[in-house]
Amino acid sequence: MENSFDALVDEEQFDFEYTPHEEKMLLNFGPSHPATHGTLRLVMELDGEVITKVTPELGYLHHGFEKLGEYRSYNQVVTITDRMNYVSPLNNNFSYILAVEKLFGIEVTERAKYFRILLAELSRINDHLVCIGTQGVDLGAYTPFLYLWKERENIYQMFEIISGTRLTVSYARIGGVPRDRDNIPPVFFQKLDKFLATFEDTLDEVERLLTRNKIWLNRTKDVGVISKEDVLQYGLTGPVARASGVEWDIRQAEPYSLYDTVDFEIPVGEVGDVYDRYLVRMEEMRQSTHIIKQALEKMPEGEMNVDPDTKVMLPKKEDVYNSIEGLIHQFEIIMTNRGPRAGKGEAYVPTESPNGELSYYVISNGGNGPYRFRVRPPSFYNYQILPKILEGRLLSDTVAVLSSLNIIAGELDR
Amino acid sequence: MTEAKNVVVDRVKNAFPDQILDVSENLGETAISVKRDKIVDILRFLKEDNELKFDMFIDLCGVDYLEMGGFERFAVVYQLYSMEYNRRIRIKAFVPEGDEKIDSVVSLWAGANWAEREVFDMFGITFTNHPDLRRILCPDNFEGHPLKKDFPLEGIGYRENFLKVTRENAQ
Amino acid sequence: MAVESKLGENILTTTIDKFVNWSRKNSLWPMPFGTACCAIELMATLGPKYDMARFGAEAIRFSPRQSDLMIVAGRVSIKMMPILQKIYRQMSEPKWVISMGACASSGGVFNTYSTIQGIDNFIPVDVYVPGCPPRPETLIDAVLKIQKKIEKERSLSQKRA
Repeated sequence: MENSFDALVDEEQFDFEYTPHEEKMLLNFGPSHPATHGTLRLVMELDGEVITKVTPELGYLHHGFEKLGEYRSYNQVVTITDRMNYVSPLNNNFSYILAVEKLFGIEVTERAKYFRILLAELSRINDHLVCIGTQGVDLGAYTPFLYLWKERENIYQMFEIISGTRLTVSYARIGGVPRDRDNIPPVFFQKLDKFLATFEDTLDEVERLLTRNKIWLNRTKDVGVISKEDVLQYGLTGPVARASGVEWDIRQAEPYSLYDTVDFEIPVGEVGDVYDRYLVRMEEMRQSTHIIKQALEKMPEGEMNVDPDTKVMLPKKEDVYNSIEGLIHQFEIIMTNRGPRAGKGEAYVPTESPNGELSYYVISNGGNGPYRFRVRPPSFYNYQILPKILEGRLLSDTVAVLSSLNIIAGELDR
Repeated sequence: MTEAKNVVVDRVKNAFPDQILDVSENLGETAISVKRDKIVDILRFLKEDNELKFDMFIDLCGVDYLEMGGFERFAVVYQLYSMEYNRRIRIKAFVPEGDEKIDSVVSLWAGANWAEREVFDMFGITFTNHPDLRRILCPDNFEGHPLKKDFPLEGIGYRENFLKVTRENAQ
Repeated sequence: MAVESKLGENILTTTIDKFVNWSRKNSLWPMPFGTACCAIELMATLGPKYDMARFGAEAIRFSPRQSDLMIVAGRVSIKMMPILQKIYRQMSEPKWVISMGACASSGGVFNTYSTIQGIDNFIPVDVYVPGCPPRPETLIDAVLKIQKKIEKERSLSQKRA
């Protein structure tokens, strides 16, 4: 394979005729650019400042996640899943583990279900903070970025207490949570209370800076309007769909993991422009804090993981060291090419991630890992609408629209 | 819920009796395996029929059944959702090895465009009537289709094949 | 600095070297070539809690012509590698490269058909940062190591190795 440095913009491929006296120009909004959230590439045909055609190019972060998942066991795949949507990794983990638990036919304890809700909502807050912070930086508002990222540090500390890492948390196993981490230290709850006490004030401060700001309104109102018909045609989900007036949230339509016992409202927009998506995300963060408070109250005491006798969960450490059955049981789960095996079948559990509907289609062939590991990536389908809504707009609207769709390149390219 | 699912399966069976290969309703999910010949008509029926109304397109993917044994080697799986009746369905269209072609559903849902390009990229299944069928995730001069079961995980040498930039020729 | 080795090593050239190295190391302008999860930790390092501005590396410039330190944060795929090399060649001398994270240093978790198993196969790298993703303090330590490396350079008194 030739390594040619000049083959990046191939004019024949993009169907572009260069005529010297016309005014059209081909601009490469390249993969390495400050305003592309990750490695995206847009090849734009411009007529002055007005965009006439946009062709997105993907694949700059394609690493074969789906193929890699077929060569790992069920619990090892959890570590792969949180490198996809790396700003809200816990949502990925739980979404995958729900599909696998459905295949195995296992029901986790109530404490684990409420704890999963709590962590998933914290992760959702994390994602929206990144989206709004980077949206501000792209459009010139640097201060909200600093305020919001300081809140992210508080959330990172909480993740570090329960799992040891800040970003790639991998806090899900079949049957609950990792065996050595099922006792939550009280310091986690202290930090959580402190976070909940001050978070809404930070959100109010950011709202004061942005929501009625003349420059923000000028750059985001009526920019990148998505209609309801587009939502059904293109399969858009999440805040992008809700801002266009489609009132649909999987947590209420098809509840999983005891979401039907907490109540919260779904913010729905009217117009479907960038401003509406920003407002929907801000309101979703407030609803998430509401859900976290309810989950904290409702969480019962007791065991977090399922009983080890179901043969999917590692046994307690005392049993491993003091009894033969415990030792054999531990080896049967951990050693290479062993591990819990499901029967033949397939499972698909739709969940609501901060970007939209994220779900894993897991097919099992009776082995110790998935036979086919398919991710339904919300960013992939949300990104498809970009050429349609950018036609006829100005070049600087590209940045506003791209940051409002919240495209995470890891999930887009897998 | 089971009556609702039976409604779906019965209506599809009545409308296309000879296209259906298998119906399975495990774990609360309905999956219908069909032949690939009339896939556009089947999906249009599911989308527009008043009792079914599966108007939201959720996902499209490919599966290679080489080691597992299905009706044919490849399958294209469509996941659909009905906003009005709040139910889901999965349609699997089987594609034989050696003649990997199937009709494109871009005329029904515009969002299937890139998903079909990805199935072409990963499995080599061509979609007839697709407006722009070329590779989307792998580089354009990549040969081979990665997600097929006979493609090795470590690849066939593309990842070592680059110019080495050292400090001498670093400008 | 093409007059190196004609002047030889004496008090004048080594003092100028020390001054040049001091000014270069305290005002490194990084160019973040962030692709994946490590880019989020890079953003956190530049954020208010782990402040990289204390070490002079605050002015991030996304243009290769205006920067001297390239931080490759994240996994590099076969489609992205020519672009990385093009940008590296566009940077002007002197330049240094930090390979941040396990994926950039050696392929990391991904031993697949489309991941480069370590960018040092194709680009000269100065400091490798382990971790998946590395903590912000580790990245700051890497920048300090680059600063130590710059201190030892002798661009005027000896030919650059």
